[in-house]
Amino acid sequence: MSEDQDKFIADVVEKALQGDMDAINNIEDRVTRSKAKAALVKAKREAKAAATEDTSKSEESKTEESAPVEKSLSEKVAACLNEKFPNSLESEDVNGHIQMKDKNWFEIAQYLRDNLDFLFDSLQCVTGYDFGENEDLEVRYNLHSMTHNHAIEIRIKTDRNNPKVPSVEQVWRIGDWFERETYDMYGIEFEGHSNMTRILCPEDWAGWPLRKDYETQESYHGIVVQKVKDGWE
Amino acid sequence: MGILENRFQDNVVVASMDKLLGWARSTSPWFFQFGLACCAIEMMATAASRYDLMRIGMIPRSSPRQADVMIVAGTVTMKMSLRVKKLYEQMADPKYVIAMGSCATSGGPYWQHGYHVLKGVDLVVPVDVYIPGCPPRPEALIEGLLKLQEKIQADRPLTKKIA
Amino acid sequence: MGVVHGDLMTLNIGPQHPSTHGVLRLKVKTDGEIISEVEPIIGYLHRCFEKHCENVSYEQVIPYTDRCDYIAAMNNNFGYAVTVEELMEIKVPERVEYIRVIVAELNRIASHLLALGAYGLDVGAFTPFLYMFRDRERILDLFETLCGARLLYNYIWVGGVSHDLPPGFIDAVYSFLDYFEPKIEEYNELLTYNKIFIERTGDVGVMPPEVAVSYGVTGPNLRGSGVKWDIRKDEPYSIYDKFDFNIPVGAGKMGTVGDCWDRYFVRMVEMKESVKITRQALKGIPAGDVHQTLPKKIRPPQGSIYKRTESPRGDLAYYIVSDGSPIPYRLKMRSPAFTALSVLGEISQGWMMSDVLVILGSLDIVLGEIDR
Repeated sequence: MSEDQDKFIADVVEKALQGDMDAINNIEDRVTRSKAKAALVKAKREAKAAATEDTSKSEESKTEESAPVEKSLSEKVAACLNEKFPNSLESEDVNGHIQMKDKNWFEIAQYLRDNLDFLFDSLQCVTGYDFGENEDLEVRYNLHSMTHNHAIEIRIKTDRNNPKVPSVEQVWRIGDWFERETYDMYGIEFEGHSNMTRILCPEDWAGWPLRKDYETQESYHGIVVQKVKDGWE
Repeated sequence: MGILENRFQDNVVVASMDKLLGWARSTSPWFFQFGLACCAIEMMATAASRYDLMRIGMIPRSSPRQADVMIVAGTVTMKMSLRVKKLYEQMADPKYVIAMGSCATSGGPYWQHGYHVLKGVDLVVPVDVYIPGCPPRPEALIEGLLKLQEKIQADRPLTKKIA
Repeated sequence: MGVVHGDLMTLNIGPQHPSTHGVLRLKVKTDGEIISEVEPIIGYLHRCFEKHCENVSYEQVIPYTDRCDYIAAMNNNFGYAVTVEELMEIKVPERVEYIRVIVAELNRIASHLLALGAYGLDVGAFTPFLYMFRDRERILDLFETLCGARLLYNYIWVGGVSHDLPPGFIDAVYSFLDYFEPKIEEYNELLTYNKIFIERTGDVGVMPPEVAVSYGVTGPNLRGSGVKWDIRKDEPYSIYDKFDFNIPVGAGKMGTVGDCWDRYFVRMVEMKESVKITRQALKGIPAGDVHQTLPKKIRPPQGSIYKRTESPRGDLAYYIVSDGSPIPYRLKMRSPAFTALSVLGEISQGWMMSDVLVILGSLDIVLGEIDR
């Protein structure tokens, strides 16, 4: 029954893609009609993705012939960093962010802040990120420049069992609190930080709360922490 | 009061000791402003111009030694719970506690995944009146306070001692 | 004023204090009356907002964002909705954009009224607090007719708003704005140009612009130091580029540029600008259906986005990572008050004990946003 239904829906979606919406609108059964509409949306989205891939491919080939492609800011920064600090980028391709190794992050941060082309004088946000249980952790920095009004994102991966990243507290003073917060939530230690202690949870809290495999502790100083109270669930 | 009623002139009032103590304690309780989170803003609004709390005799006091009622307004976290207990113990008897808002009652919207949230302030201090709401309207807070007044008046402090 | 290191005494301005704007603990090292070091200790209101966001769906996150910065709840919702809409590439109808700007600016006025009223209370003036709350109640009445709630609205949804404007709302807002504009002059007479207030706040807690930028301070705190930066003008979102308004900056009228009086005055002038924006929005609001582009199920494509909006406290940003499911994989809220509080230790060195609370009040922090 469902195979016939699938075939029926496929036929009706074909007709709709060619412009004939009556076929779908005339379906009497509400469930089938809504399934057909959902399938139509999916088909349209796939068609659009295929179309843009084609056009971008054709555009690329066109521009390769005519003029060099305009580099995005991340690509410019990545190219510059590759020259000045060789072997510090994790990978060459840049899709909106720069993946970096944690080797000389402190020097790179100072360079990014002081170089006149970039002038990233404000660290907007430091986010910790967990790829999943038994996977790596990552730290993501969002930098912004007040003078040039441009922004980039830098990501640094680190091992789950011994997460260490150089601290940029001396470069941007807000790094102090942002890094303490990332340490509190994920357990990532920032080398060179003057006061690596918890900032949001109490000092004697156990565990790294925002990790995906975090188990809430049973009690804290004799008070029950767990969500289950008698008769609630 | 039986044989003593209406025996004397108009300016003499006769009442039982319990009722007198109840009347003295319940009218004009001074509250300990323990505003923690969003409910604190509603508590401030209740004490401000439109819903005036001072007309029922309540003044905000910042020191626990001078307060009668502790209004726990807002979410109590684990880090803060130890301090709540300490401040409650510093208040002088007779003291009462009002849990304002759903966070103080039972953890509020953070009951399910809040690892750092205390699921109800009654896990650390004894509570007299619970006011639900997120946040409760100023009228709800005033109703809670009036209910507390009724509760204080119904209390029999002397009878308990004798019994 | 120099930093004195005599025999230091550690004083604790505890989590429960009438003027710490919430549960904040200040560990203060003083030599007599003069401060040598101030260390803010936070975390007393850490309500695990980010953990909740990883366990509930995108629609259900909106009430939690309300409760982070509970004084300007509409702006929090606005920032979140705009971020998710950009991730999903939804374009909302014009009417929704205009309604959002109107409520966001009204909430900005309400938030500034509370901040300035509480600041007057810190400094010792009780009357402006009552006057400003009286006017704030009128704004809360408007919000109550709109969506039923006084403080935490859950009004701006991803793809639209929850309720359309009730009949008579636009006239009510016009009459409120006509009533409110002369009140700003009243506040100026009461507090702003009051000699005692100027003595207490002028020249106190000066924040140089380089320090502000390095500490990530944004919003009225940064504008008080003379830096003209407002996301509504410099990186406009929604329809803010259609409106004509000025950005007030501190000019050191009653002392040095970047002192407490400048930060206070920037907020006062911003209220006037918000009234201007609201009037323009009310004039141009088109008809339409506000529920037209509400998605049936919010399931953004895989990817990450970082979007900044202007809340009354500064630059509020959301960093959302989506893995294609209806539940966010990672949601980080970058709160402006977090960065504003971190600069307290730097700018209060060398001042006296009573000045610390004046400086803290001028930074206008909300602990719900700092601790999340």
